[in-house]
Amino acid sequence: MMNYMPEMTFNVDHGYLEGLLRGFKSGILRQNDYLNLVQCETLEDLKLHLQSTDYGNFLANEPSPLTVSVIDDKLKEKLVVEFQHLRNQCVEPLSTFLDYITYSYMIDNIILLITGILHQRPINELIPKCHPLGSFEQMEAIHIASTPAELYNAVLVDTPIAPYFLDCISEQDLDEMNIEIIRNTLYKAYLEDFHSFCRELGGATAEAMCEALAFEADRRAFIITINSFGTELTKEDRAKLYPRCGDLYPYGLQLLAKADDYDQVRQVADIYGHYKELFEGSGTGPGEKTLEDKFFEQEVNFMKNSFMQQFQFGVFYAYVKLKEQENRNIIWIAECVAQRHRAKIDSYIPIF
Amino acid sequence: MGALFRSEEMNLCQIFLQSEAAYACVSELGELGMVQFKDLNPDVNAFQRKFVSEIMRCEEMERKLRYIHRELKKDGMKIPDRDENPKAPAPKEMIDLEATFEKIESELKEVNTNAEALRRNYLELTELKEVLKKTQIFFAEHGRHGIVDDAQHALAHDEGGGGFVPVTSVQLGFVAGVIPREKVPAFERLLWFANRGNTFLKHDEIDQPLEDPVSGDAISKCVFLIFFQGEQLKARVRKICEGFKATLYPCPESASERVEMLNGVSTRLEDLNTVLHQTEDHRKRVLMSAQKEIRPWIIKVKKIKAIYHTLNMCNFDVSHNSLIAECWTPVSGLEEIQSALKHGTELSGSTVPSILHRMQTKEVPPTYFKTNKFTTVFQEIIDAYGIATYQEVNPAPYAIISFPFLFAVMFGDFGHGFIMFLAGLWMVITEKKLTSGKSDNEIMSMFVGGRYIITMMGLFSVYTGLIYNDCFSKSVNIFGSGWHPSYDFRTLQKETSWTMNPADHFDNTTGPYPFGVDPIWQSSMNKITFTNSLKMKMSVIFGVSQMLLGVLLSFVNHAYFRRPLNVFCEFIPQLVFLMCLFGYLVALVFYKWLFFTAECPQYAPQLLIQFINMFLLTYTPRVMPANFTGDLYACTSIEPTSINATSQTVFFEHQQPIQITLVILALLMVPTMLLVKPFVLRARHNARVKRRQGLYATSQRTLIHNEEHPEPSDDSKGVKGDKPEAHLSDIELGAVRGKDNIAINGEEEDGGIVGHSEVGISEPEEDEEEFDMGEVFIHQAIHTIEYCLGCISHTASYLRLWALSLAHAQLSEVLWSMLFRFGLTFDMAYVGGILLWAVFGAFAVVTVAVLLLMEGLSAFLHTLRLHWVEFNSKFYMGDGYKFAPYNFKHLLDADLDE
Repeated sequence: MMNYMPEMTFNVDHGYLEGLLRGFKSGILRQNDYLNLVQCETLEDLKLHLQSTDYGNFLANEPSPLTVSVIDDKLKEKLVVEFQHLRNQCVEPLSTFLDYITYSYMIDNIILLITGILHQRPINELIPKCHPLGSFEQMEAIHIASTPAELYNAVLVDTPIAPYFLDCISEQDLDEMNIEIIRNTLYKAYLEDFHSFCRELGGATAEAMCEALAFEADRRAFIITINSFGTELTKEDRAKLYPRCGDLYPYGLQLLAKADDYDQVRQVADIYGHYKELFEGSGTGPGEKTLEDKFFEQEVNFMKNSFMQQFQFGVFYAYVKLKEQENRNIIWIAECVAQRHRAKIDSYIPIF
Repeated sequence: MGALFRSEEMNLCQIFLQSEAAYACVSELGELGMVQFKDLNPDVNAFQRKFVSEIMRCEEMERKLRYIHRELKKDGMKIPDRDENPKAPAPKEMIDLEATFEKIESELKEVNTNAEALRRNYLELTELKEVLKKTQIFFAEHGRHGIVDDAQHALAHDEGGGGFVPVTSVQLGFVAGVIPREKVPAFERLLWFANRGNTFLKHDEIDQPLEDPVSGDAISKCVFLIFFQGEQLKARVRKICEGFKATLYPCPESASERVEMLNGVSTRLEDLNTVLHQTEDHRKRVLMSAQKEIRPWIIKVKKIKAIYHTLNMCNFDVSHNSLIAECWTPVSGLEEIQSALKHGTELSGSTVPSILHRMQTKEVPPTYFKTNKFTTVFQEIIDAYGIATYQEVNPAPYAIISFPFLFAVMFGDFGHGFIMFLAGLWMVITEKKLTSGKSDNEIMSMFVGGRYIITMMGLFSVYTGLIYNDCFSKSVNIFGSGWHPSYDFRTLQKETSWTMNPADHFDNTTGPYPFGVDPIWQSSMNKITFTNSLKMKMSVIFGVSQMLLGVLLSFVNHAYFRRPLNVFCEFIPQLVFLMCLFGYLVALVFYKWLFFTAECPQYAPQLLIQFINMFLLTYTPRVMPANFTGDLYACTSIEPTSINATSQTVFFEHQQPIQITLVILALLMVPTMLLVKPFVLRARHNARVKRRQGLYATSQRTLIHNEEHPEPSDDSKGVKGDKPEAHLSDIELGAVRGKDNIAINGEEEDGGIVGHSEVGISEPEEDEEEFDMGEVFIHQAIHTIEYCLGCISHTASYLRLWALSLAHAQLSEVLWSMLFRFGLTFDMAYVGGILLWAVFGAFAVVTVAVLLLMEGLSAFLHTLRLHWVEFNSKFYMGDGYKFAPYNFKHLLDADLDE
């Protein structure tokens, strides 16, 4: 039944949640709200305006003076509450799908903790910085591990992301380079796994999600390549980090593996129409958008399109991503307001 | 009642508030609750408005109050509700309030942090105590060496890889601590993985739940004891414990030291307990002082906030240092508003009075009805359909009678009605108690809200029940039946049922049963046939009368709004249509009732067939016999077949021409309704266009004339009047370029043009309405079709009165005969009585649940429909918007949490 016209029975299991989610989605701030937000003089103004949006009284119980980190926490908390509600209500296969969304946060958290420990920071200080969506039980015991193998055997073996870690065990010790490699290897395995999971789900979910994940994979490949210039990372090692589920696979990735500088990356991108545009529009000069922002913008577009189609899980992924972007936007504006640095306040990425 | 007939006359007013008096004035207006402020700065952000800092201060105060409120709740302290209504404090008192809240909050916070620290301390000591106790048990359990031996054995065995290692050679260290119960499995697993099985964990639950120092929730925890070997493992175990937020406690190795430590801990615990109690007492005292005051505080802060929100809607006039507010007010309340303003100005000590000034506007005012507790419910029923258009006829006053009446027609049973009346009466009598408590029970509060309508419906049902002579499906014989059966024993032996001919058995000397239906029908076989005929006819009569009332009310509307065209093109044709068809039907019903008696049953016409034949134009005349003199249609006892009189033949003189005339007249009304109005409108429009073109041609001359003699503006705004030249040039531009510009100018000048008297050209709103013949025509066609078909279907729809009343009667009869009569047939001494008692219980429950509640609800809904659809559609537009005055009243019971 799952593969045979899943649209027919979609609403039986997931209709309520999809409806709920589309309701959440309509609470995403509009361009109009951003225009108002950037006019704010203080964080209190920001709070006052957010009160008139879907955020409502989410800051009402915070004593003044407000700080950006409080806003950040509250924004995260709101997203997490919504997500957890969805997660608690859902049934297979949506529950697995939602779990997959949390895996990326788990990876980020692990990397954050390892890096922190590497720099001799106490674990209690690090834990609050972790994203609550990606927290898991064993997370706090992560500092007993000093090598990747230990990390795997002692801490991660029971977690859902353990299979992704298998490729990293060979690394000898945890230094910064290795941590980056671990992060990218984990991400690569994760994206490929998520991609194949979505493909198995089939139907509209596969259509929407494979596209989104392919984009994510390609983005990572580009960014890895660009960031690797001038580091000790060898080309062979680099090639191993590329997720192989994007549009670049296989030829683009081969070309990327050979790239030596930014222009060569650019040449690779030129072969692919939609990436060409991103590279062309980006730059580091004033008034220009960075490549990263361009990618974010493109992502927002993808995610918005995801809502065009019904009876598929892509909307859940899209909502989390859009909400994350919105949080980044609000925090950006809040930072600009708090630091009285208004010159770049407009470089948020509007969603609707 | 007069107040309900039309909505209050409303006025758009401008209030000039002196800056220093604005707060007090708005506060007074809020207490009065008769003013609806308009937001004059809709485009300004919430945080860019004038009084944003005050609002933020209010929010900060609310936050503190919420905190105090939460703390009160945590301690289970109730907030007394004494119905107080403190006035909004003056702005300078705000600082005092803030200071008070600040003080209480900081005091509470301090107490809380102290208490928390103490509790944490307490928790730690309790845990330590438990650890010491449990480890004592662990160690003691297996004798002196028991647990250590176990551990040594297990660990040594693992290390040795199967080989035998002397037990004593391994020196084991251990740590003891406490961990939340739910983390134990994961903790154990991780210990195993991380140390490759080289640790030995023993754990046991702490029996009594511990208290979380911050939230005060109960948590269950476990004591654990981990054995390991060597320093490296110790460091690892400690790290894991840290990761799992397990608290480790020092635990001496020897038993005697442990006992000693336990004693020490116990004494410290006791000391701590007394300190904790003192802290709690202090906290109680702080809260107690807040408890009494918190409610007035909440209301005060809410009022301040509402006032500043309102002030934010005003325009600020810098030159006069005043605020300008625009608001809708009922004309009848102007004096009260004036005095409120005056009072506010006095309170603030300002010397300059606040000025209320009525404005001219083209905007549609809001609809406002002054209702009391009795009429509210009826008004709400109408509002649920649609808020009345400003000043149109309100169906609510009619609904006060017609609603309970139509309900009662369907619910006619004076037993049931009386129970309902009593229930309603009880709610009315105890209304103070019922409405004061904030009930969470939605269903109950719905009934209480409708207490007056329930009482009325019960009362009316008693009346209709008496008319139907129906009480729990039984009849009562009060006046003595008019029928006198004269059968004897022999006839009864022959047949079980027996027909009584009215001619023989009806006693005409006393006349019919004086009130309602003769009780003899209760025992007759054809009771339903009789009541059906009665109720069906009654339904049609009531229906047509109500619709007629609706159509007549539409005339009142047309007359009030001066729409003669609608009177001639809509009201009159509608009236004629309705009366020619259904008014005639009602007349026939009465004719039949009056003129066909028991003497000529064969002559009685079948109205339904007759009515259908009226449309089919088929008539079967009676035959005049050769030597017949006298009235052919009179009810005589001549043999009906001789004059061909059946139920379908013509039954009164000139029936055929009269009916044909009526049908033709009714049909003629259809094109009248359909065509006349659109064409008249078009003709008017064309005429207007022509006139305007003429005016354009002469406008230049008019303007020059005006420029020479600028007329003084009668607009008291003054500002606009100062620069008539600017106006005129605007008009000139508009006039020359065409109508679009005029419209734009008209908007920009904000009614300034209208203030001039020479206007003629400048009626912007008339230019805006484009005349679209097609649209008008379609609209009219829809309207006509709706009305004509509606008349027919609505008349049929009123038959639900009969259907529901039949259903109700039958259901109660079933209940009686199937349930209660069954109980009456028990022929057993004493036991029968008990059984009857039980059966009556069932009968009573089903009566209330099914007949009163369910049937009552169904009858209520059908009545609602009859009012909304059948009655309202005849005249009620219902596209107004409700007057929402700025009022402090709803702040009184509002919670902080909303």
